[in-house]
Amino acid sequence: MTLLPVDGFAAPAPGRDDGRAPRLRLVTGSPDAASPPLEHFDALLLAVARDEDRAAFAQLFDHFAPRLKGWLVRTGSTPELADDLVQDAFVLLWRKAAQFDPARARVSAWLFTIARNLRVDRHRGWSETWLSLDAGAADMVPDDAPGADARLAAARSGAGVRSALTQLSSDHRTLVQLAFYEDKSHSDIARETGLPLGTVKTRLRAAATRLRQLLEEYRS
Amino acid sequence: MAHAAGTLASGPRLLVATHLEGCAACRAALRGFEDVGAQLMLDEAGLAPAPDALAATLERLDAPLAPPVAPVVTRRPPLPGTLEWPRSLRHCRISRWRPLGPGMRWSRVGLPFDRSANVFLLRIAAGSCLPPHTHRGEELTQVLFGAFDDGRAVFGPGDFDATDSTIRHQPVVQASSECICLAAVDGRLVHESRLARWLGALIGI
Repeated sequence: MTLLPVDGFAAPAPGRDDGRAPRLRLVTGSPDAASPPLEHFDALLLAVARDEDRAAFAQLFDHFAPRLKGWLVRTGSTPELADDLVQDAFVLLWRKAAQFDPARARVSAWLFTIARNLRVDRHRGWSETWLSLDAGAADMVPDDAPGADARLAAARSGAGVRSALTQLSSDHRTLVQLAFYEDKSHSDIARETGLPLGTVKTRLRAAATRLRQLLEEYRS
Repeated sequence: MAHAAGTLASGPRLLVATHLEGCAACRAALRGFEDVGAQLMLDEAGLAPAPDALAATLERLDAPLAPPVAPVVTRRPPLPGTLEWPRSLRHCRISRWRPLGPGMRWSRVGLPFDRSANVFLLRIAAGSCLPPHTHRGEELTQVLFGAFDDGRAVFGPGDFDATDSTIRHQPVVQASSECICLAAVDGRLVHESRLARWLGALIGI
C-alpha cells in the first residue's frame, strides 16, 4: 500500500521507500519550539470574544492558518479548496468566539473541529449559510462528562497528547495516521494491506482504544 | 476516530452523531481524538495561505449573516411515549411507518445532503424477533427506544452496535416494550424499493 511519508508532502524520495511503516512526525517536539504556548492563543481568542480585537484575530490567523492549510492539503484538499476552508474556518472562529471556553477546549482543537466540519459539509455540497448553522450538531451538546472540564488540564501544553502518541506502538501509530491522514475505507485498507477486513477493523479498534487509554491517563 | 478525522460516510456519521448526543463518555473520547487531530495539525510544517487571505477574511467578518436556508422538517411519523427525535435528524426527511412483516415497521430516513445514504428506522413490536441473519456490509445501529437482546448482549436506549458479515445474530425485542432503532448500512442503495427488498431479505419475508 502507499502511505504518505510523514515528514514531507511529496512522494517518498528514491531510496527512502524501504517498506518501513511510516512514522508520525511528532516525536521530538514541536517544529517551532520557539512559538508561544497554546495558552497565549487561547488568550487571543478570548480578546476576540471580549473586544472584537482584530489585531488578536490577525495573530491567530498568522499562527494557525498555515498549519491548518498544511493539514487540509495533506489530508486531500486541493490548495484552492484549503484556502477557501481556511477563510471560512476563521470567519466562523470570529463569529463563534463568544462560545469559546478555554477550560473545555484549546483554540487549536476548536479550530480543528470547525475546519473538519466545514470540509465535511463542503463535500456534501452544503451552502455556506447552512454550514455556519450546523457545523457539528454533537459539538453543541453541553458536555457534562465527569472530568470534562479537566480534559485539557494535562494537555494544556500539548504535551499530554504528544506523549500519548509517542507511547503508541508503531503499528498503532500507523493506524492512527491512516485514520487521520488517509481518506480510506476499512475495505480499502484491507485490500491494500492484504489483511482480512476483520483484522483491519480489530486492529483499528485496538489502536483507538489504546490511544484513548493513554489520553485518559494524561488527563487524570 | 474516523468521526474526529471527518472521514466517515454520511450515513455512519449521522449514526455516530446521534449516539454522541446521548453518550457523554463517547463525547469525551471524541474530544480526545480531536485533540490528537489538532496536535497533528499543529505539527504541520505549514503552507503559506494565499497572499490576500488575511485581508479577505477580515473583510468578511462584518458581513451580515445570511438568513438560514436549512430546511426545517416538520412532518414526522409519530413516536411512542415521550420519545423525541434526536437533534441529529432535524434536517432529515423521515417517511411514515411502513409495514414490513408481522409486528415490524420501518421508515426511510432521507439525508438532505446525501440521497444515496442508507439510513432507516426499524420499529419492532414487544416480544418479536428478527430471524437469524448476517450482514453484507457494515451495519451501525443506535437504539432509540426499548431494548433487544441478540444473544451477544442486551442493547437498550442509547446503545450503539456495529455489525458486519462476521456476525450472525437474531435480535429479540424484550417483552416490556416495542423497540425502535436507527440503522445505517453500507453500500449505495439508491432506490426505495431496493432498500425495502434488502430489508425484506433481512427480515425474511
